[in-house]
Amino acid sequence: MKRLLALVGCLLLSPALAAQDVLGDLRDQGLGFAQVTPGKSLQFPRDHAPHPDYRIEWWYLTANLADRQGRHWGLQWTLFRQALSPPQADLDGWQSSQMWMAHAALTTPDGHFHEQRFARGGIGQAGVTDIERVGYFNAWMDDWQWRSSGAALLPAELRFTVGDREISLQLEASGELVANGIDGYSQKSAQGQASYYYSQPHIRVRAAIGQGPDQISLDGQGWLDREWSSQALAPNQQGWDWFSLHLDDGHKLMVYQLRHDDGEHWLSGNWIEPSGNTRLLDRNAIELKSTRSREIETGDGRSRVLPLEWQLGLAEPRRRWRIRPLYDQQWMDTTIPYWEGVVLVEDETGARAGIGYMELTGYD
Amino acid sequence: MKPRFYWILKALLSHYWRHPWQTLFLSVGLVAGVGLWSAVQIINQHAEASYREAQSLLGAQASYWIRSRRDEGIEQALYIDLRRAGFRQLFPLVELEVSTPSGVSIRIIATDLLALPDDAYSDSDSPGDFSDTWVKFVQPPYRAWVPRVLADELGLKQGEQLRLRDGRLLPPALIQAREQQGRQVLIDIGAAMALSGSDRFSYLAVGPISPRDYQQLAATLPDHLELVENQQHIDLQELTESLHSHLTAMSLLSFAVGLFIVFNAVRFSLWYRRATLLDLRLMGCATHQLFSAILLETLVWSLLGTALGFALGILLAHALLPGLGASLQSLYSATVEAELGLSSMTLLQAWGITLLGLVWALGWPLYRQLQQSSLESGSSARQQQDEAIARRRLALAALVLALIAVLAYGRISSVTQGFMVLGLMLFAAAWMLPLLLAAGLRLAAWLVPRERLTMRWMVSDGWSQMPAFRSAMMALLLALTANLGVGTLVDSFRNAFVGWLEVRQSADIYLRAPRLDIQQLKASPSTASWLVDSHHRIGITTRWRGRPTLVRGIEPDAPDSLALPLSRWQGDTPAAALQAWREQAGKVLVNEQVHFLAGIEPGDRVSLETDNGLQEYEVAGVFYDYGNPYFQFYLPDRVVASNWQHHYSRGIALWLNHDNSAAMQQAEAVLKELGAQPGDWISQAQVRKLSVGIFDRTFAITAAMNALTMIVAAIALLASLLAILQERLPQFAQWRALGLRQGEQLLLVATPLLIFCAIAWLLSIPLGALLSWVLIYKLNIISFGWSMPLLWEFMPALQLAGVVIVICGLTLLLVSFQWRRKMPQALAQLGETV
Repeated sequence: MKRLLALVGCLLLSPALAAQDVLGDLRDQGLGFAQVTPGKSLQFPRDHAPHPDYRIEWWYLTANLADRQGRHWGLQWTLFRQALSPPQADLDGWQSSQMWMAHAALTTPDGHFHEQRFARGGIGQAGVTDIERVGYFNAWMDDWQWRSSGAALLPAELRFTVGDREISLQLEASGELVANGIDGYSQKSAQGQASYYYSQPHIRVRAAIGQGPDQISLDGQGWLDREWSSQALAPNQQGWDWFSLHLDDGHKLMVYQLRHDDGEHWLSGNWIEPSGNTRLLDRNAIELKSTRSREIETGDGRSRVLPLEWQLGLAEPRRRWRIRPLYDQQWMDTTIPYWEGVVLVEDETGARAGIGYMELTGYD
Repeated sequence: MKPRFYWILKALLSHYWRHPWQTLFLSVGLVAGVGLWSAVQIINQHAEASYREAQSLLGAQASYWIRSRRDEGIEQALYIDLRRAGFRQLFPLVELEVSTPSGVSIRIIATDLLALPDDAYSDSDSPGDFSDTWVKFVQPPYRAWVPRVLADELGLKQGEQLRLRDGRLLPPALIQAREQQGRQVLIDIGAAMALSGSDRFSYLAVGPISPRDYQQLAATLPDHLELVENQQHIDLQELTESLHSHLTAMSLLSFAVGLFIVFNAVRFSLWYRRATLLDLRLMGCATHQLFSAILLETLVWSLLGTALGFALGILLAHALLPGLGASLQSLYSATVEAELGLSSMTLLQAWGITLLGLVWALGWPLYRQLQQSSLESGSSARQQQDEAIARRRLALAALVLALIAVLAYGRISSVTQGFMVLGLMLFAAAWMLPLLLAAGLRLAAWLVPRERLTMRWMVSDGWSQMPAFRSAMMALLLALTANLGVGTLVDSFRNAFVGWLEVRQSADIYLRAPRLDIQQLKASPSTASWLVDSHHRIGITTRWRGRPTLVRGIEPDAPDSLALPLSRWQGDTPAAALQAWREQAGKVLVNEQVHFLAGIEPGDRVSLETDNGLQEYEVAGVFYDYGNPYFQFYLPDRVVASNWQHHYSRGIALWLNHDNSAAMQQAEAVLKELGAQPGDWISQAQVRKLSVGIFDRTFAITAAMNALTMIVAAIALLASLLAILQERLPQFAQWRALGLRQGEQLLLVATPLLIFCAIAWLLSIPLGALLSWVLIYKLNIISFGWSMPLLWEFMPALQLAGVVIVICGLTLLLVSFQWRRKMPQALAQLGETV
């Protein structure tokens, strides 16, 4: 799964949004939109393109990078699509019901920076092309752009900005796409909420930040999540904690929990072996608990207590890790605020075991 | 034990408890004066604050505009290209001018709220918080955000759709507004494009931009677009300055009239408190303590007057703002916020001016009273003598004021100076009035036959009443003069304006459709039956001598060009000047604004910046151009076309065949056929209705101020009469006891009153004419740069006489009620008091 956050982000464009209950829309039945059903196989490159019949969708990239001194950096770039109403063929241009939002964030050794953008659909200001139609992948909003060089998602160049920092990424696949859930059908609750969800966790990233003599070169690995749905949250779900980890032994691990009112959280994940084999992790296979909460300033004149350190264990293979943030202050003070940032992974002995991204939402 | 000061204050202030009517009048005078002054002040400052915000648009800063040089609007694809090139400072705007079936003109502004720069949103006002409201705004059937004031004016309710003149419907109304929306209706850009049928933006706004990005943007723009600085805040301040000075002057006049009431009430309080002051001093109260008490009394009144007056001012401002806002929008394209903003500075100023007025009208006379010898008696003979001396002194002062006014008249060079001279003139007349009233009484006494004893008595009682009426008469004179003067100004303007409209707007249809080809229209065989003549005007906007300026290219042989009314011309006749302009190269016609504000005479040469460098033109004539705040130059269309590559169409005028009764229907059908949208054209009757509507609305505030000033003057009159009643009740009781009937008694008061009012009215006629003369021939020209003939009519003066009689009748009626109520007690007290 990724990014129920995105759902929330897109909520700001949704009709049912109420300040007290920002997740309300995710619990909406999504009437009039296409519904997510099991047994439908994903097809590429077609499914890289937008699915306007579904209410919400995103293209979500995170990257863990290092500079020449070996210091940790992190990048996030996300494009969200939301349909305000079920699409009608005759409504295009300014009348289009599609709305776009984009987030970008940069974690540097000196601090965390972010930017947020909005755009209308239908007028060419933002969008994602259909590879089959134009021959390349192109996702953009204003001058932010992910453009592949051929008829596949990767290799590609991603250019964007965070504030006045210009960022350019060269992205290359070092492995295959991974379907999450059952062949891409990712269930989100016992009541039937679900999404289509696939990832590309094997991306080699070369990044350049800034221009001219001050330009900084970075290397590392990236993780792309693609997800679309019309209804993804159950009425009793408050928020989620989500992890995407690049382990040093070559494994990749995605785990999330949807927090329920009654404490019986919905847990799911995917264990991805270097060979490309995956194992769906269900609630019984995952052991996730927060080990330390800390209070951080969240920019809107207030502070929040967040569970920033975690212990994560798997039943099979029997492994256990400690997860802690590179530093605490990686708060996204966007319209719908959340925590998203670089985390370090250690094994039970305290030795470095990997690196990744963590997302914490719904902590108000 | 309370300090002595307390008792002094209590003794002095007890007057107000004992005479509640006079207290009320003092308050009313003060509150009305302060109220009218602060209403205008609040409006002016509110408008000025809005002009300063002209740097912003709908809450977003707009430092520059990107406009089409040919007024063709901006293609959507180009905007998207610029956004995708990283110019995120840009946001698109569509402006539409529509009107309701009843002829109310409405300006629509449309944008993409999602594209506004980040600074457009505060924390509590981000797109995410719009929720339902926001989503409905951007999605069909859309929503029209209508400011409350405009909705009230149009009678539009939440959710209703406003029907336009041509039958189109606006999206359902939502009664709310964004910053700088003013009186405009805000809709989504998608809704605007659906409404107008155009796929182009009117222009793009550029938010905060770095110098580097600005350079890049300027270099990126295609040739047919221009990047211009948003100078609207400077332009608006300059263009509207005169209008606001006019309003300030009128509000100061109202304040002065209010102060006359205060003065009147104070005179009464002095009369009553003379004994109290005397007693206090005889009892050994120190002068400085009495002085402090008076100072405190003045201060209390000033605070009270300011508080209540300011509250009244806010109410009045709320009532006057919509009309003024509409005028400012139609005349100057100024967006004045529909919701009133208040500044503490205005309140402080109101208090300052009230305190100043009160020190003059209340504190100073009280202090003078205190200075007078404590043993001096207040005998009636002595008072009459004092009055005569005071009258002569006032008349002398009036002469000095008049002399200064005459000397200063020739040197007037600014609006403020002009109003100062007017103020001097008006006060000179007001101060001369007591002497004239006395002369009037003498004349009346001389005219009454010797044997008509009762009559003679009634006239001569005027001497006793004069002190009480003096200030009220001055107030009445000022109010009458202002009414006549300003009324004449407005009537003259209306007359000149309507006459001018008839000549200038002689075409039957005015068409504004940039994509419609006029040649195609003329050549079309389907026009032959209804089209007699046409005039395609082109033009450019530029700046000349630092002011926004329009250079128009007009067809020299078009019917309206041939009949262009000139106010000044080169050569013998206007016709000869127009012919020279038509036939000789290098001739230009300029509007009166160029003549009066920039000092250009026929025969002078003016230089205009063209694509071919600086070009010189000789001024052949000066044409009337009422209501235009800009400089305007008329050149033959071929000259404009050859000198300004980026000229654009300023519309087409069509003259219909009046022998063909179906001409209008045929014309509309052909226009639609050629691709014009409903709303692209407007008929002559509608143009005139709109123009005259704008005119009337502009002067509505003047009419309101006039009426309010008259009301204040009426209150002054009532206050005086009641004061007379109070002061002389024992005397009247005595006469009553001697057998005078109530009717005769009323006549006793009414006769001098009518004599005084007649004198004030008579004096107001020449004074009103003088006022309008100065306003029209001096101030209007300095302020707005156009002239008009003074239209003097006697009817308004007669109407005012009627108003004065009604006011007198009403006040006398009120007084007679009071009289009836108080007479029994006064009769019972006979012998106790004298």
